[in-house]
Parts: sequence; C-alpha cells; structure tokens
Amino acid sequence: MKIKYFFLAFLSFSIFSGTVYEFSSDEDEKRFNKLIKDIRCPKCTSGSLSSSNAPISEDLKLKIAEMINEGKTNIEIKEYVALRFGKDSLYEPELSKETYLLWFSPFLVLLIGLLFFLFRIRKNS
Amino acid sequence: MKKLLQLSIIILPISFFLIFFILLTEENQFPGADYREFDLPVFELKILNNDVSIANSDLEGDYVMNVWASWCITCRIEHPYLASLAKNGIPIIGINYKDEKIDALEWLSKYGNPYQLIVQDYKGTLALDMGVTGAPETFLVNKGKIVAHYEGEINDYVWNQVFDPIIQERGMFK
Amino acid sequence: MIVEVSHFLSIISTGLFFLVGCFSLTIKNNSYVTSLISRTYSHAFLFLFISFLIYVWLAATDNFSVQYIYNHSNSDLPVFYKISSIWSAHEGSMFLWIFFLSVWGFVFNIAIKNNQILKPKTIGIISLILVGFLLFLLITSNPFTTILPIAPLNGADINPVLQDPALAIHPPTLYLGYVGFVIPFACSIAFLINGDPDVKWEKLVRKWSVSAWVFLTVGITLGSWWAYYELGWGGYWFWDPVENVALMPWLAATALLHSLNVSIKSSHLRTWTILLSITVFSLSLFGAFIVRSGIIDSVHSFANDPQRGLYLLAFISVIVLSSLCLFISRFSIIKNLSNIKIFSKESFISINNIFFGTLTFSIMLGVVYPLIYEYLFDQKISVGAPFYNAIFIPIVILASLFLFFSIDSKWSRNIGLKIFTKPIGLSLLLSVSVTTIIFFYFEVSKIFILLSVFTGLLVIFRYLIEIWFSLFYKKYLNPFSAIAHLALGLLLVSISLNSLLSTERALNIKINEFENYKDLKIYFNDLRVNKGSNYDAIRAEFYIEDKKGNGFNLSPEKRRYFTRGQITTETAIHVTPIKDVYLTIGDQLDDGSWIVNIQINFLIRWIWFSAFLMAFAGIILISSRRRT
Repeated sequence: MKIKYFFLAFLSFSIFSGTVYEFSSDEDEKRFNKLIKDIRCPKCTSGSLSSSNAPISEDLKLKIAEMINEGKTNIEIKEYVALRFGKDSLYEPELSKETYLLWFSPFLVLLIGLLFFLFRIRKNS
Repeated sequence: MKKLLQLSIIILPISFFLIFFILLTEENQFPGADYREFDLPVFELKILNNDVSIANSDLEGDYVMNVWASWCITCRIEHPYLASLAKNGIPIIGINYKDEKIDALEWLSKYGNPYQLIVQDYKGTLALDMGVTGAPETFLVNKGKIVAHYEGEINDYVWNQVFDPIIQERGMFK
Repeated sequence: MIVEVSHFLSIISTGLFFLVGCFSLTIKNNSYVTSLISRTYSHAFLFLFISFLIYVWLAATDNFSVQYIYNHSNSDLPVFYKISSIWSAHEGSMFLWIFFLSVWGFVFNIAIKNNQILKPKTIGIISLILVGFLLFLLITSNPFTTILPIAPLNGADINPVLQDPALAIHPPTLYLGYVGFVIPFACSIAFLINGDPDVKWEKLVRKWSVSAWVFLTVGITLGSWWAYYELGWGGYWFWDPVENVALMPWLAATALLHSLNVSIKSSHLRTWTILLSITVFSLSLFGAFIVRSGIIDSVHSFANDPQRGLYLLAFISVIVLSSLCLFISRFSIIKNLSNIKIFSKESFISINNIFFGTLTFSIMLGVVYPLIYEYLFDQKISVGAPFYNAIFIPIVILASLFLFFSIDSKWSRNIGLKIFTKPIGLSLLLSVSVTTIIFFYFEVSKIFILLSVFTGLLVIFRYLIEIWFSLFYKKYLNPFSAIAHLALGLLLVSISLNSLLSTERALNIKINEFENYKDLKIYFNDLRVNKGSNYDAIRAEFYIEDKKGNGFNLSPEKRRYFTRGQITTETAIHVTPIKDVYLTIGDQLDDGSWIVNIQINFLIRWIWFSAFLMAFAGIILISSRRRT
C-alpha cells in the first residue's frame, strides 16, 4: 500500500493533486474512466473494474492508469489485459471470424425484416 | 415461401432449446486452466532468502512457477504435491505474492521449501503482469514463454490433465 | 406442524388446477361446465392463497423449523425484511412467482363474465401452466422442507445488500409484470383452439396486457434505481444477463401493446399480435429459467443446479413449442386478407414491430453467444455494454425518427408522408437549435450522442406541440400515446446527456483537509464509528461547497455486518433537479488518507422519471373509461 503512494508521487507530472489515479489531462482521465467500465473484473462473477474494489481490480486499475500515462493506446491496453486475463475480460468482443455472426446478425435481421415488409407492401398495392 | 416462414418459426425455438439442453448437460472439466502463450514478463525483483536482485533474463530453460503466500490456505494444501514434484526433478520457482518476508520465511521453515528460488513480489506487479488474480496459481514456462496457467490447487490429477500434455508435446524437462 | 398445512394446501391446489385444466380442454364447454371451471379455479386459488399466506406468517414469526426460512431470515430482521426474505432465493421466489400467476388468473376469472367464449379455455391454460410450475416447486424446489426434530433458535442472516425497501418491492413488482403476460398468452391460445377468427380476443386482453406492462416497467426501473444507490458504483444499467432477461420481455411487450392496438382498431397484424403474445410470455418463462439454471454468470442469479434447469427447460419448451405448432396450424384461419397501406399507422407500427423484434433478438444474441462460443471454441468471451450500445443506439434513433414521422398517419389510410407540416417544421427548428447550443456549449465530439439528443428532442417537442394543439385547438390526441412517447423522448435525451456530462474521480483526502473537484470543494470533516442493529460502521462526514458558497453534508459509510462479516459501502447522494453528487469511501491508504470516490451524475433522476412517466401513461389507459 505504501508503494502505491510512492507510485503516485513519482507520476507527479499531473496537474491534479489528491487523486488516486493521476493523469496529465482531462481526456486521459475520461479515457481511463471509460476503459475501466469496458474491462471486466478478473476475479468477480460479473462486473467491470469500475464497479469492483477487489485487490486485483485495484492493482489492474493502477496498471492501466500507468499505461495511459506512458502513452499507450486503448488497443494496446486492452491487448495487455486480454493476453493475461483472457479475452473474456473485455466487454467488447473482438471482431473476428467467430464473432461476425454476433456483430452483424442484428443488422441483418433488421434488413431482412424491413425488406420483407417492403415486399409485402409492394405485393399488395 | 409461406411454408418456409412457418417452418422457421418452429425450427428456431427448437434449435434454441436444443442448444440450452446441450449447455446444461455438458461439463467443464477445468475452468481454472488456460493455455494462452506469452513471454515471461520483464521484471527485476529480489530473491527471498538473500535479497539478491533477479531479473527475467536470469531465468533459463523450462520450469514451473508457483504463486503462493503465507496467508493462502489452499497453498498449504497443495504444498506436499509441490514437494513431490521438486523431488522428481521438476524445477519450481516460487513467487511470494503480497506477503511479508517474515511470515513467508516462517511458513517455509514450518512446511518445507520445494522451490529452487523464490521471488519476492510484495506489490504484486509481476503477478499482475502474468495475469494472476490470487493464490495459488501455477505456470509452466518453456524457454522464456508461459505456455500453461492453472488457477487453483494443483495435485496429481490436475498435473496429469493440464500440465503433462503440454510437457510431452513440447518435450520439456529433458 | 403448521408448515405441513401450507404444504398440503399447495398440493391440493395443484390437483384442483389440474382438474380445471383437463376439464376446460377436453370437455365441451357449456354454461354449466364453464361455471364449474370458474368455481373450481377459484377454490384452487383459495387453497394456494391460504398456503402462501401461512408461509408468509411463518416467515414473519421466525419459524426456523422451515429450512428455507432458517437459511434466509433472522430474528433480528425487521418484520418487513423477514417477509421479503421469502423472495431472496430460489425456492421462495418461485413460490411467489407461482402465487402471482394464480392471482392474475383469479382476477381474470372474477372480472370476466362466464359467457365470454374464450374464458374457460383461458382459465384452463393458466391452470395447466400453474400445475407445471407447482410440480416443479414441490418436487425439485420445495420451500416447505423442515429441520427436525429441533428447530434452530435463530436463522442465518440474509445478504445485507438485500435489506432495503426498494429491493424488497422490486422482485414482486417485476414478477407481477412477468406473470401478467400469461393473460394475453392464454387468451391467444384459447383463441387459436377455438378457431373462430371473429372473436375479438385482442379487445379482451388489452387492459390486462397494459397492466402487466406497467408492472414490468416499474419493476425494471426500481431495480435500476436501487442498483444506483445501493451498489456504490453509480451506474443505472449494467447489461447484466439478469437485467437483459427482464428487458427482453419488456421490449416484446411494448411491441405487443402497439400490435394489439392495430388489431383492435383495424384488424390488421392479428398474426403478429398472437405471435407477440406467445413471445412475451415465453421470454418471461425463459427469464425465470435462465437465472435459476446455473449457466449464467451474474451476481444476480440464484445459485442453482443444472437438474432444476433441465426440468424448467423441458417444461418451457413444451409450452412454447406446442403454442407455436398450434399457431402454425391455425395460421390460415387468422390470416388477415386485406392489405396494409403504406404510410398508414398500421405500416408504421409494423415497422416498429420489426425494430423491437431486432432489439429483442440482439439481447438474446448477446446473452446466449458467450455460452455457445465457450462450448464451441473452449474459450470464454464477454458480451457487454459496448456491444449492446452499438446495436441499441442506432436502432433506437431510427425507430424514434419513424415515430416522429408517424404521428400524422391515419388508420387504414395512406395520406402520404407528411414532411412539411407546421408541427414538424417547428419541432425540427427547436430541436436543431437546442442541439446546436448543446454542441457548442459542451464541445461534444461524439456524433451519436448528438444524434440521440436531437432525436429525443424531436419527439419531445413534437408531442408538446401536439398537446398544445389538443388543449387549445381541440385537435384529437390519445393521452396514453402522447405521454408515453413524450416519456420516451425524455428518456432518450436524459440517457444521452447523462452519458455525455457525467464525470467521476477517485480522490484521496486526509481528515480535516479538503480537495477540489470541478467547482466543488470537498471538506473531510470527521470519521465516526456507528453501530446499527446488525452491523458496525465507519461513517465519514463531508461538507461540500460549490462556487457560490452553497454547501451540503454527505456521510458515506462502510459497514460490516455481524452474521456474515460482509462489508458493504453505503453511498451518500446529494440530489438536485439537474444532477446528483454521489460519494463513497474506499480504503484507507498507508499515509492515513482515505480514498473518496466522487461522481457527478447529470440528469440521472430524469431517466427514472421518464420510465415512471411511461408507466403512468399506462395507468391512464387502464383507468380510462373508453370502450377499448
């Protein structure tokens, strides 16, 4: 716990004081807040990092804050987390062969439904 | 066309129920095991006994890494198995996770030390970099790459089902 | 033992319901048989009612010889929570579910006259469903098992998180909603069995469907509101599987309400309406199944075993598949022959059905996909907010735009798509202006937030204009539609602005010091130890001051409950019409400072207000004296 404090003092190129996670800009902080909502707590049954105060979540949040301050992108951070804690620690499923069905079928269903409707209207008139 | 529509209205739910039936009846044997491969993280920490610095580059070859702590009850339970592994020539490196040095040394003197060396990871930074969420967890490292990770107590059954296949496949510990 | 009486009464009622079901479906109905069925149902209900009442009494009076009451209640609990502990776990909540199902059947039985041709079969179908669930309860999930010969002196405590008034009424309200859809379901099935297309079953079930919808809306909103102030994370919707499983029937039910309207007004979409009735109830059943089956990971789900899951799955598949088979076989009879004209109200509602159907499908996809993926690829994935938001936002915006342009449409007539009317022009002007102001003032970079705010405003302004016209120019306006859609627009705007403007930070403050956040000064004044009836607490006292010098006190706590040693965070919230200032305390750091989590949540109360407004619109409809 003491180490955490030294950690924070070390990252003192931030313009905020008295914060647990220090960032050098508002955008970084917003990015952090969004990221921790989209990453799952590794040890909880369900719930994001943002909604967990388990020790591992706290550790991971600090690490993510550190990575943001190092200039890493969201993709790099998510890759880091996914490699170590599993792809299921990301709430946004990756777009891959196996998930095409997931991402595209809603719009497919919508399209088919609307086309069907138009077809029926045209047939009737 | 109409018949197709009518058929799909019934086929969809049937397949739906079948899916759930299958899901309910299948059993997941090892929820704690995963086989994601990645490089052993870069680290520089101290060895427990003598406070000498050790880095990831100092570790070579094949070995097992075991995350443990004196506060972890399950670690005590798996301890005898680790001792037997060590006796059979498997090199085990311990990661003392979020522990106090005094407590760790006391635990070892009480229960024995199966580890070739023990890395002090009091902040848990190395463990976090390895994807550890608690103790005990065990990793299989093949030439600087993590090739298997098990969350939970390891015993003969787990070793044979989870780690041994990888060991054989990769020709480790020869 | 009294519990055995309750048990026995439940068994008797099961038998009676079975008789009712069999009679109604096999014997030719005449007035004598109908009255017999009706009376027997009432008797069966009476037995079940007394059984449930006794059970409530047992819980309220600390009868710990009953295993379930021992497991989930405690003599230190206030009476209100002793009773609500009944629905805190599987067996008891299943009992409540079944009881409520029988209540809906009973009220229907009383309210509908015996000469209504669909009544006996409807009652019969409800009875058979009750039998199935009662058997499930009595055989696999018996709440009546006892601990003998010596009853424990005191029970285990329930989860402290469940000791909350909102949470006590959230499940019952939700269940009343879920099971209420048995009425349109059973009635539609009775209609199909009866086979006469001229029977106006839609008119019969309309108010019942709206009532169930109101309960479901209120139940979901209560859950969201409760999660916000209790869980400590400041969110109001998490796309948790159990939340999703409540949202699906709600979406299908909303579509049903629209479709019912069409079927009543102009006899179109009758097949859609029947299919939707079957779907809504099936989704309710599916919801009951999935949270008890053990295959879903959620903090919400009841710990359960796959055996029970299998039974429920089998039972539900029988209900759903037989309904659909019946539907298909009678398809030709109810198929409406005349055509829907484009740009008529019917066509807009048809499209609406497609939108809602897609949304429901998407949620089902999101819930089921991880399970299938894991089975096929031996790997886990998660489907969460990013997915659902990506699907919902564009579709809801699109649907709202269609809503906006549908307001002028007429029943069964194509008057063309009106784009250049005064109300539309005025709404567009107002919406564009307000959205532009928001864009510049808040420096919005996300296009979708702007679009949703714009669309929501369109709907709000349009309906306000329509309300104005109806008050001052006597133009006809359906109050239910106006208020419900106005609420929808408000919901859209609130959710978007909340997402855009809300901020949060984890501060660390030492006692007697302060920190700044945005334009607030947060003074950490005191730290006290507090003792509650069944917990110990640390209470942190803060004084928060804004730029103008106005201040308020907030006192978040961390509690440790005796029986389980569980630690909970109690939030402290300062509510204003525009925003909430939301405070929780975290851990103490080694330097003595405390982690203080502060959030400023904009317009969050408006979100629940909109939802309750929608429900209120439903209440208006139910209590109106109009013919339909």
